[in-house]
Amino acid sequence: MARLALRNLSRNRRRTLLSAGIVALGCALSLVVLGFVERSRALIQETTVQQFGNLQIADPKLLDGKAEGFEYLVSPAVRAQVEGLVRPERGVVGTTAQLSLSGLLAVRRTTAVVRAVGVVPENDVLDYNDLVVTGRGLRADDVGTVLVGQTLADELGLRPGDFVNLTATTVAGAFNVSPLEVVGLFRFSSAEVERAQVFVPLAFAQLLLATDGVDRIVVRLDRLGRTWAAARAIGARLAAAQLPLEVRTWDVLSPFYRGLSGFFDLLFGFLVAAVFILVFFIVLQILTLSFLERTREVGTIRALGTRRGEVFGLFVEESLWLGLAGGGIGVVAGVGISLLFNAAGIPWQPPGTVQAVTLGVDFTAPVILIPFGVSVISTVASAFLPAYQATRVSVVDALRAV
Amino acid sequence: MQRSSFCYVAGTPVLETQGLTKHYTLGQETVRALDRVDFTAVQGDFAVVNGPSGSGKTTLLNMLALIDRPSEGEVLFEGRPTRRLSEGELALLRREKIGLVFQTFNLIPVLSVAENVEYPLLLTKTPRGERRGRVAARLEEVGLSGFEKRRPDELSGGQRQRVAVARALVTAPRIVLADEPTANLDSATGRQIMELLQGLNRDHCVTFLVVTHDPSVLDYAQRVLTIRDGRIQGEEKRGAPRPA
Repeated sequence: MARLALRNLSRNRRRTLLSAGIVALGCALSLVVLGFVERSRALIQETTVQQFGNLQIADPKLLDGKAEGFEYLVSPAVRAQVEGLVRPERGVVGTTAQLSLSGLLAVRRTTAVVRAVGVVPENDVLDYNDLVVTGRGLRADDVGTVLVGQTLADELGLRPGDFVNLTATTVAGAFNVSPLEVVGLFRFSSAEVERAQVFVPLAFAQLLLATDGVDRIVVRLDRLGRTWAAARAIGARLAAAQLPLEVRTWDVLSPFYRGLSGFFDLLFGFLVAAVFILVFFIVLQILTLSFLERTREVGTIRALGTRRGEVFGLFVEESLWLGLAGGGIGVVAGVGISLLFNAAGIPWQPPGTVQAVTLGVDFTAPVILIPFGVSVISTVASAFLPAYQATRVSVVDALRAV
Repeated sequence: MQRSSFCYVAGTPVLETQGLTKHYTLGQETVRALDRVDFTAVQGDFAVVNGPSGSGKTTLLNMLALIDRPSEGEVLFEGRPTRRLSEGELALLRREKIGLVFQTFNLIPVLSVAENVEYPLLLTKTPRGERRGRVAARLEEVGLSGFEKRRPDELSGGQRQRVAVARALVTAPRIVLADEPTANLDSATGRQIMELLQGLNRDHCVTFLVVTHDPSVLDYAQRVLTIRDGRIQGEEKRGAPRPA
């Protein structure tokens, strides 16, 4: 039967090529778009993890933005306890702590509301020094220094070596102000972060807020894929230790990523559905015509003793070969187009970002298998109705067909 | 083809009809294509059903081939009623026990000669080695050894009908039903085909029932049944067929 199904595809080569071409086009188109989406998603994942680390452990009131005072602060003792619970987890590269505060950055007569993130300088986990494009990063012995985003620096006319004043409210509610030396300017993928966020040494942030606490512990893992399993395991340990802290993964911490990722999923889902429907209906038309032309032959093979189910299976098998061939060609074509696209190195600056990225297409197993699978499934599905109709014709009527 | 063991029980009923009736409704009118036909084909028969166009020959053949169902009456295959059998059961019966030869050959154009003959054996799930042996033997019997790899469109009409005969015989069926097997052939080729069928009947005891309006076919029959207006008008027993 497989032989007959394959031979049937050679009956009308032009029609078979047209069908396979449509399947291939749909598959190639899906592959390129999915590959592009995956590359873009990977870039965003990278920058998101660069911003948040893999995991953050903090009071849920802070993470949910519901804190009214500084009740969310983690004391040094609890911080040490948490780090002890995190360290045994597989894949943990290290931990660091942060303390963020809102303040007013003043230079000469200009001010800006900023979010100052206190970080442990030169830590191995997340110190943001790699973002610095002018000047230098924060050093371990720094206290009164600050890294300012390029966009904010441009707006305030700041350069490394300039001094600014940062005003904030202490934990006890008093105003506090301290001068800071701008030691470096950084660039980030998000213009919003560049404009509203500065990095200061953790010791400075604690000094300004008059506390020895931190607001979160950041965990870095060796692989992105470990994130969710590690979050579950560490969360369980925190609960067992009765610590009122929660673990949040990088994707949950970034509403931007969640929104964009959801948009990508929607975009790709829509495209896949469109390709599925397009391939389905075009191949349906072609197969219907093809099967109709063979009505007499169906009558013959049924008269010889082929059962309806076997005839149905024959037609479906034929469409399966067609789908496999079309999908295979589509994968090859899609990979070829993508390689050309990658070689072209087209730069693009996404909205809301400060640096252009190079557009590209990723080839992962899902990027190839999903379009291939969808193409094959839509082709096979398109055979069901005409195959069913072909089997419902009576043998006598089928034999009379011209 | 080995001489079938069925020959030793020649005269055993293979196909039998009892009050076989088929009517069609055309608008307000009911057309009786077959009207209470009683007929028996026995093992070793070479029966010819003869009649003009529209007499009900092909309708009768379709009933006997179990590809159409009667409006009334019954078709018994080896004494077993078939009316209540499902489509699937009828298909199994056809693939194993009935060989069919069509007026227009009805070969599968994308398959080679050997593959066409092999097709019924694929349905019966005959092992590969046995399939090859049987196909070779049937093609030799019909004089088409060496044509195995040809496609039907590379053959003459007579050769195609020979392939169809080989296909009908390959499962060693209890009966071969042929619908106007010479109608699409010139008279010389038609004669060759009928001589082939006759030889198979005589030498290998294959049971044939041929439906035709071609008077020259009657010369090969042991029994001639005349059908007119859906009724068997008469039967002529001719004894030994004309020598090949």
